Amino acid sequence: MIEIKNLKTSVDDKEILKGLNLSIGKGEVHAIMGPNGSGKSTLSYALAGKEGYNVSGEIKFNKTNLLELNAEQRAQEGVFLAFQYPIEIPGVFTNNFLRTSLNSVRKANGKPELNAIEFLKIVKEKSKELNIDAEMLARPLNVGFSGGEKKRNEILQMSLLEPSFIIMDETDSGLDIDALKVVSNGVNSLRDPDRSFLIITHYQRLLNYIKPDFVHVLSDGKIVKTGDWKLALELENEGYGQFIN
Amino acid sequence: MENYNDIKINFETFIQSFKTDDNDLEFRKKSFNHFLKSGFPKPKDESWKYSPLVKDLKKFSSFNFKNSNTKELPKNLLENYDHYSIVFADGVLIANDIREQGLVIKKNNSFLKSVKKEGVNPVLNLNNAFADKGYLIEVEADTIISKPIVVYHYYSNNFSSSFVSAKNFILLNENANITVFEKVIYDSSIEFLITANTEIFLAKGAKLKKYDLNSDNKYSTIFNFVKANLDSNSDLEYFTFSEDVNSCRDETIVNLNGKNCYASINAIQLLHSNCNHEIKLQINHNEEHTRSSQFVKSVLHDSATAAFQGKIFVDSKAQKTDGYQLSKALLLSDTAKFFSKPELEIYADDVKCSHGSSSGSIDKESVFYLRSRGINEQDAKQMMIKGFLAEVIEKITDEKFKKIFSKKLGHNSDDV
Repeated sequence: MIEIKNLKTSVDDKEILKGLNLSIGKGEVHAIMGPNGSGKSTLSYALAGKEGYNVSGEIKFNKTNLLELNAEQRAQEGVFLAFQYPIEIPGVFTNNFLRTSLNSVRKANGKPELNAIEFLKIVKEKSKELNIDAEMLARPLNVGFSGGEKKRNEILQMSLLEPSFIIMDETDSGLDIDALKVVSNGVNSLRDPDRSFLIITHYQRLLNYIKPDFVHVLSDGKIVKTGDWKLALELENEGYGQFIN
Repeated sequence: MENYNDIKINFETFIQSFKTDDNDLEFRKKSFNHFLKSGFPKPKDESWKYSPLVKDLKKFSSFNFKNSNTKELPKNLLENYDHYSIVFADGVLIANDIREQGLVIKKNNSFLKSVKKEGVNPVLNLNNAFADKGYLIEVEADTIISKPIVVYHYYSNNFSSSFVSAKNFILLNENANITVFEKVIYDSSIEFLITANTEIFLAKGAKLKKYDLNSDNKYSTIFNFVKANLDSNSDLEYFTFSEDVNSCRDETIVNLNGKNCYASINAIQLLHSNCNHEIKLQINHNEEHTRSSQFVKSVLHDSATAAFQGKIFVDSKAQKTDGYQLSKALLLSDTAKFFSKPELEIYADDVKCSHGSSSGSIDKESVFYLRSRGINEQDAKQMMIKGFLAEVIEKITDEKFKKIFSKKLGHNSDDV
């Protein structure tokens, strides 16, 4: 489903990803772990189509080369990046944003746009599962949200847009145990034979809740080791030292 | 030195035909002489340095006054909610006087009550000399007027004068409460100069909400001068929405004269093409325990220019003052310009005052976040701009007008 071949990215002549290869099958959950500065966030941005990077190589998503699409086209194709630090946008109301987002994706896929009433019905249902109350959705996007609220809002967007490839960039950062459980449950309920996940994290903790099929170690812009979920435990015990030279 | 001979002749002709008493005449002559001494403002005058008017006033080396036969406001321009209306068609008050229990709305004949401190502001002097238009709104004590008053200034395509001068009064007696919405509609395609001076007096406990809309003006040069005097426990909320105005200076002076009075001054500048708009605000904290807030946002496209000069002045006796000021500008093109001059002048030692000003382009991280949710770049930027301005709209405390102005930004009412 996702085929990343020889992916290289650089910013201002500094190479960050140095020829990364990764293949993610339908319905699989892959975790990428790695030390600070190994290129984890860059990978997520390169996949989501953030501007400002020099990117080469290939990212095949179904039959499309993602590198030929801009950020919104990738989202419309079914790519979703859950941000490590969701952006606060004053004056843009969460409800309004969610509806615009959902309708943009629906429109691009030839589906009818939802009116306010239809939308509210869906958002009400989905936000209930994530313990998000209506008051939060009436506030400006992420403004004054707690760390947990921000991440739950990301999961809500994920569940509304129903993407087929989800990248989670350090979703566990800044979450307490209870919030971590809510977020993990949200993610687990979205696991589906047609949906793939790439979970980027420093720590093994999140992987206790969302069990990956594969774990990869990213170091210095390349995947240096691949294993099953036990690799995460190993890393937790031994650290990343063995991969840094 | 500029030549004001034609304007002198204009003034002579004007006072000969204008029926008034001797005192008024004296005041007008004095004001005109003050004007002649200084002439139109120059770029080297500190308080006019950033003003678009400095350049545009030069276009008016003489005035012509012509009567227009426009007798009414086209029905489709009326606001579609229950309100009292004051209609000026081509500068002339055409609506009937309104008298409701506790409310008086009429043509303003008492021009002399105006600014006594003549001689400082050249354009105000010109206004003092020529003012022959305007309204007066007075609300009796302990009266709450439930309907808003809408003041329409309609310039039709018959309009052919080059100069309009108005003096307006809003007088709220003790504990009176009213909302006034003033909007200018331009259907005229000639270049003309408008000077309007609005004097606001809020007695103890009075509450005024004043909302101004000035939009789509392609040709005129405008000077609005508002002065408000607030007695104790009174509240002024003043919001101006300036959209695509050719050339305009909105100058406001607020005197906080009584304990626990509060002024909330909010403004939006939304400009395209070569539009020019300037906001000059001065809040004078003249008494202790007074509060003020200034919140201004500017969105500048193309080659638009905006200026903000805001000052909080705190008198030595005005302890426990709480003054706040923030201006933010979004520059959306390389040729857009924003000038900002935030000032504090404080003579008391136990006060809380803050000011801030920023300008910059649209935040790229935010745009990426929105795009990563499937929203195309253009829409994402529009959302950001609307959101940026919506923060000012949020300050509007009247729910009806909050909706009206939100709609102007393109928000549907069910989105807000």
